[in-house]
Amino acid sequence: MRRRRWPLLTVLAFGYAFLYVPILLLILYSFNESRLVTVWTGFSTKWYVELFRNKQLLDAAWLSVRIAAVNATLAVVLGTLAANALVRHGTFRGRTGFELLLTAPLVMPDVIIGLSLLLLFVAMQQTIGWPDGRGFTTITIAHVTFSMAYVAVVVRARLSQMDRSLEEAAMDLGARPLRVYLAITLPLIAPALLSGWLLAFTLSLDDLVIASFVAGPGSTTLPMVIYSSVRMGVSPQINALATIIVAVVTLAVVIAGISMRRGRGA
Amino acid sequence: MATLAERRSLEPWQDPKAVPYLRIDRITKKFGDVYAVDDVSLEIFQGEFFSLLGSSGCGKSTLLRMLAGLEYPSSGRIYIDGVDVTDVPAYSRPVNMMFQSYALFPHMSVEQNIEFGLKQDRMSRRERGERVGEMLELLKITELRKRRPDQLSGGQRQRVALARSLAKHPKLLLLDEPLGALDKRLRENTQFELVNLQERLGITFVTVTHDQEEAMTMSTRIAVMDAGQIMQVDTPTAIYEFPTCRLVAEFIGSINLFEGKVVATEGDEVVVETRVGRPMRMRSFHPMVLGTPVTVAVRPEKMRLCADFREDGVNQLKGRVEDIAYLGDVSIYRIRVGDGALVEMTLTNVQPRTEQALTWEQEVAIEWSPTSGVVLTE
Repeated sequence: MRRRRWPLLTVLAFGYAFLYVPILLLILYSFNESRLVTVWTGFSTKWYVELFRNKQLLDAAWLSVRIAAVNATLAVVLGTLAANALVRHGTFRGRTGFELLLTAPLVMPDVIIGLSLLLLFVAMQQTIGWPDGRGFTTITIAHVTFSMAYVAVVVRARLSQMDRSLEEAAMDLGARPLRVYLAITLPLIAPALLSGWLLAFTLSLDDLVIASFVAGPGSTTLPMVIYSSVRMGVSPQINALATIIVAVVTLAVVIAGISMRRGRGA
Repeated sequence: MATLAERRSLEPWQDPKAVPYLRIDRITKKFGDVYAVDDVSLEIFQGEFFSLLGSSGCGKSTLLRMLAGLEYPSSGRIYIDGVDVTDVPAYSRPVNMMFQSYALFPHMSVEQNIEFGLKQDRMSRRERGERVGEMLELLKITELRKRRPDQLSGGQRQRVALARSLAKHPKLLLLDEPLGALDKRLRENTQFELVNLQERLGITFVTVTHDQEEAMTMSTRIAVMDAGQIMQVDTPTAIYEFPTCRLVAEFIGSINLFEGKVVATEGDEVVVETRVGRPMRMRSFHPMVLGTPVTVAVRPEKMRLCADFREDGVNQLKGRVEDIAYLGDVSIYRIRVGDGALVEMTLTNVQPRTEQALTWEQEVAIEWSPTSGVVLTE
């Protein structure tokens, strides 16, 4: 007897529809001519043109991208160091505590991270005069604190899969520890570094809560602009912007996926 | 052609004037409270093929890793060519190692793998190319030079790993289970190849293995290890024929053990009373005190059928065939002798199996000569 497949396929279709129809609608309406978001009148790219004339939105987007890039880079460096310590240095004193503190931001509510960092920054400004005001620096620091935890998880998984004897072999063949790290370890964990970077980038790019706490005047990130403009009524420009972001994120996810798969094959 | 006696006198470990190439001086390695290697001393000479043999967890790999510098001893010293290298890090030691997993760098081609060690020595590009070519040729893998490790078979990987560890022309090569990952037929061929290569290059090999056959075929000498300690160091023949303790006797091949105590000594022979049959008469290399508890150890192939069983015959036993294992070239017989003990005997199948004399439940008499076994005191 042939097994009937349509019940399963229906469930699957509903699942996908639930996840992706809203996004498809958003993309569709970004090409809508009407000012009203919910009424389709005809195809047009005028909202894209208007988007590129909207200085406030573009500035916010550029700020977000810069923060995301700096954050991702710092998070990869710190997260990799942390992962190295956990995987490579066995049971050092305070290992459990270190592990716990490292992964805490993964489960800590954003509101609490944001509030506590705000308090810290204010206190620091009063006592040592740095950071001077809040803006790019404070948002970046705030983002690094939680995204390095994600990077550490990704890199740690990769490192612990790696055959330890590869590094030992390199050392045995005369390579000093730094050289071993650069010539053997780094190339082998590179896929994890790349996906960690992309993950940290994305996390930073769409963070609204934490950024709202630690941002200052004149440092409005993209999610903050979108959120506040939506409250005053949605402009189709936002749809256009969202479409561009979806395209970029999709590309990034595809690249990360491919590089991870390649890494596993090696 | 040197006679056997002359060759014997040439063996460096019997020459008191010979200087060992590798000297391990009372090495101990502790992991927490566990002694992985416990007060081991060894002298290994230039050109030897030395095997560390033991079951898993006996400390042989840890010892090898300490020679490579991948592990530092808790106490004791290691000397290579007279130089104390105990505190020298792995990357500065004149030693190379072939890893059990081969540890080929997956992101490099065969060529780049072999070249890696040469690059660390800042050798010129031209010299490197020549050396890599030489290694590829030596191991007959020139056509694989552009491949990546995941495009190679197990046997090919083993060759690449060997080429890489030989590329720097080390005087001492450490091999961790060099044939462990190969299938049986490939392993047998590779054994001989490895020995030929070692003799041709004149390099000292120290290998770790749990496979006694492998150790027997390849080694000049074997050190049998157990629980971090060395039980016996000797040539394969001596290890097999004249084990010094029960553990070594049982680890290598199969053996019949009869526990008892010394009741008389006559010249270089001792008489041992056991629970099986009449007192046994065995040659002993050491004088023995009467009453010493000992074990008489006789290999199954040293047993033979006894045509004229006599009540006062030397080392003769009567029994009944209980089990027969036919292996083609030989058959193993398990014979139940008086007092319920089982004695194992191996006979070469000179005649085809169907015409064999022995069958189940048959009454037989077996015997062995006083010189074809040993008396063990521990």
